Amino acid sequence: ANPSQPSSLTPPPSTDVPPELKIPNVFKEEVSNNPGTFEELHRKCKELFPQTFEGGRFLVSKGLSSHFQVSHTLTMSQLSPQDSGYKFGATYIGTKQYSPSEAYPVLMGDIDPSLNLNAHIIHAFSKKVRTKLQSSVQEGKFMGQGSVDYLGDDFSTTLTLGNIDLLNKTGVIVGHYLQRVTSSVALGAELVYQRGPRVPGGEITVLSLASKITGENWLFTANVCPSAVAAHCCYYHKVNEQLHIGAELESSLMTRESVGKGCYQLEIPGGNAMFRGSIDTNWTVEAVLEKKLMPLPFTLQLSGTANFANIQKSQYRFGIGLVLG
Amino acid sequence: MELTGDKLKELTNAIEDEEDDDEELDETLVERLIGLTEMFPDSVRNAVCSAGSFSWKAMQWSFSFSKSAMWVAVSAGTILVLPVMFENERAQMLDQQKQQEKQILLGPHSAMSGPGMVPPGMLPPGMVPHPHQWHPPPASS
Repeated sequence: ANPSQPSSLTPPPSTDVPPELKIPNVFKEEVSNNPGTFEELHRKCKELFPQTFEGGRFLVSKGLSSHFQVSHTLTMSQLSPQDSGYKFGATYIGTKQYSPSEAYPVLMGDIDPSLNLNAHIIHAFSKKVRTKLQSSVQEGKFMGQGSVDYLGDDFSTTLTLGNIDLLNKTGVIVGHYLQRVTSSVALGAELVYQRGPRVPGGEITVLSLASKITGENWLFTANVCPSAVAAHCCYYHKVNEQLHIGAELESSLMTRESVGKGCYQLEIPGGNAMFRGSIDTNWTVEAVLEKKLMPLPFTLQLSGTANFANIQKSQYRFGIGLVLG
Repeated sequence: MELTGDKLKELTNAIEDEEDDDEELDETLVERLIGLTEMFPDSVRNAVCSAGSFSWKAMQWSFSFSKSAMWVAVSAGTILVLPVMFENERAQMLDQQKQQEKQILLGPHSAMSGPGMVPPGMLPPGMVPHPHQWHPPPASS
């Protein structure tokens, strides 16, 4: 080899893909085979919204083994005293792995001293079939919900049953279907059938349509319900590795409400901090800063929200949280 | 002395003048000014009055509006923008500190190259330390 070539000193470039080629692939790879499930339609945008809280929050999470994790949560809040208290949570992640980031089955639960229990089980019987069971017991009342997803080559269907009570013949049945039509457009529909004592007329069926349009580094999803003349649209844009922005518009003519919300997520790599902020048309401003205090696995969360709807009586709420582990 | 015609006239004029003076002195300054406004027609008077009161009210309203707007902008900025600015500055300062330490430790040239740095004097002559970037493999002969 010619000694004037610098290649002997640099690591072989074959494993490095330049970032300019990587960005469109990240999106297309995820959706080229399957458009994702209907429930995850707006998820990419909703993940950018700050999860604000009020008061204090202290969470200790400890991994007992590579599959099992236990967490203790203390919530101290003045605005929602019914949520304040201690919660014990456990998570078990099973051994079946279909891809590097997913392992099944996943069992999660938490319980508090008043015996209010939430439990989730997520299991994938095969790469294409997934089931989910959720149940919660609140003050003696039991509510359960189960769903089955089938992920085909370019479509996905889901059937969900909720609160089925065969004796009183009440419950909710939901069916979803999402089909990829072209390489960047996916269309779908949702059908909900509900029967119960509080439903006007005893039973109700609602149909809504959805679409998902993917671009090079953006994503637009819309969910339209013709019978209630309601629409829910989300837009997600990845500006660069650190900044992601999103916008959401939700409006319904039946309830005569319309809310728009713009948000952004900024990651500050040098400072180990993640900041999410949002501003919406209800004159509300929210933000959450999560900072990792590096030598120890602690995360500090600061949350603030301000509501200027009534300028004489504007409300400000702040929260502080600490996550260990 | 008899009051002849001229003298009588002079005296009555003087008395009238004094009476006029008294009348004038009985009016206050404000009354005289108000009296002056009667010189202008009604429409001019009404227009000036409404313009004056409107501009006074507008000044009051704009002061209170700018107070509220400034408060909303500053508190929303404190919640949305301030932590990001602080964290960015902190990250930059930490970076600078690290570079300074590197400089002190390894000499003035080491601070300029990135993670792929080579201590000076270790390269065979004719080669430049390769910055950490992907380059297409050189066309080898």
